[in-house]
Amino acid sequence: MASLLKVDGLVKRYYAPGWPRRVAFTLEADFEVDAPRTIGLLGPNGSGKTTLFELVTGSNVPTEGRVSVDGRDIHKVRYRERDRLAIHYHQSYQVRAFRRTVPSFLLERAGRDRPRVHLFDEPQFALQDGYIGFMLDFFARLRREGNLVFLCVHPNEPWHLDILREACESFLFVRRGRVAPFDGYASLVADPDVRTYLGALAPPH
Amino acid sequence: MALFEARGLHKRFGDRVVLEAIDLAFDAGTLTGIMGPNGAGKTTCFHCLTGYHRPDRGRIVFDGEDIGGLRPHEIVRRGVARSFQAINLFDADTVLDNVVVALPEVRRRVADAWGDLARDSGAQDRAAEVLARVGLAGRERARAKDLAYGERRALEIALALASGPRILFLDEPTSGLGADGTARLGELVSELKRTLTMVVIEHDMRFLFGLADTIAVIHWGQVIAGGTPRELRDNPWVARSALAEDPC
Repeated sequence: MASLLKVDGLVKRYYAPGWPRRVAFTLEADFEVDAPRTIGLLGPNGSGKTTLFELVTGSNVPTEGRVSVDGRDIHKVRYRERDRLAIHYHQSYQVRAFRRTVPSFLLERAGRDRPRVHLFDEPQFALQDGYIGFMLDFFARLRREGNLVFLCVHPNEPWHLDILREACESFLFVRRGRVAPFDGYASLVADPDVRTYLGALAPPH
Repeated sequence: MALFEARGLHKRFGDRVVLEAIDLAFDAGTLTGIMGPNGAGKTTCFHCLTGYHRPDRGRIVFDGEDIGGLRPHEIVRRGVARSFQAINLFDADTVLDNVVVALPEVRRRVADAWGDLARDSGAQDRAAEVLARVGLAGRERARAKDLAYGERRALEIALALASGPRILFLDEPTSGLGADGTARLGELVSELKRTLTMVVIEHDMRFLFGLADTIAVIHWGQVIAGGTPRELRDNPWVARSALAEDPC
């Protein structure tokens, strides 16, 4: 059976303007998720988290490598059907438009309506209104229904870490374009790079 | 079976998915609250349910009939009425005339010219009854533009009621109202609820928690949570929030 998500030798290079071409930023990722789960994604601003989400949902084009969702190469699916495989829930101001080189009709149909990979990009968590609880229930429901859930959180309150610990089964930490996997909250917060990133929020050893 | 039901509603604007998959069911005689953060898709959902937007996928069934794809006025004629976030009134006309022109029998022969309406005492009586239902008895002769803000909100509800609906959708009825106005609107809604099936989008959670039989929380174009106000309050994160302080 095809894995839910396969990120295979993925490389995205951004070049600085001008000549000769100079690489300004490189994101590299290579991982596979076989079964439904909830994965927390953390990392400093500019480390490549949103770019990774854009590559997984097929809105951004990789320089090398491929992304398969449920066995389908997402970049071979029609642009407006890619979110039937993997959907990126972002803040509206984050939406970036990308060049499309192939006419949609030459691409494949998604073959399904409901996405299997759901990527939540820094959802707004506010303690006052209680929505957090509904959001966490929703993540759990998607997971229970056989989906893969990514939760990108930029912790700046202690309870943001409570949310990650409560909701996520494993983690990816993105730093300077490299993606490091962690199999649980304990190993995540024990990592020196992650502790530096968390700063004062890092739980005591 | 529910009086009004939506299954798998999906709507996109260009590259942006606004409704991913909305499932809702409104039972006859109940008030359903719809809440969610800004941009969650609540109003787009109302637009789809009442024919102002055509969903890309999904079914909308009212009283056993598939009404997906019908135009707004055809949906109104079947007994579905709504209000809007922004108030739409004929400001220069009287309160009574605003309601008279919203009556279905008048709308059907609107070509007959405005002037005749003044002499149609039957229509005026029916309009006055509607105004009494929303607490505007005695204000019939006032110009719509001279009404206080809360009265304008009530008049807008009267316009929706004029079509004789079986289900009424209200989009943020407390928007712009102060505490007194919200309290009065709450009384009006609980009065209407005795005879109508209602669906109310609302940011004011306390307002909704006090009135709704069930609540659907919409976010990311999906119903992310639902249940009775009590069930939603039992969520541990809601218990930690400001909502829990309210004793109703």
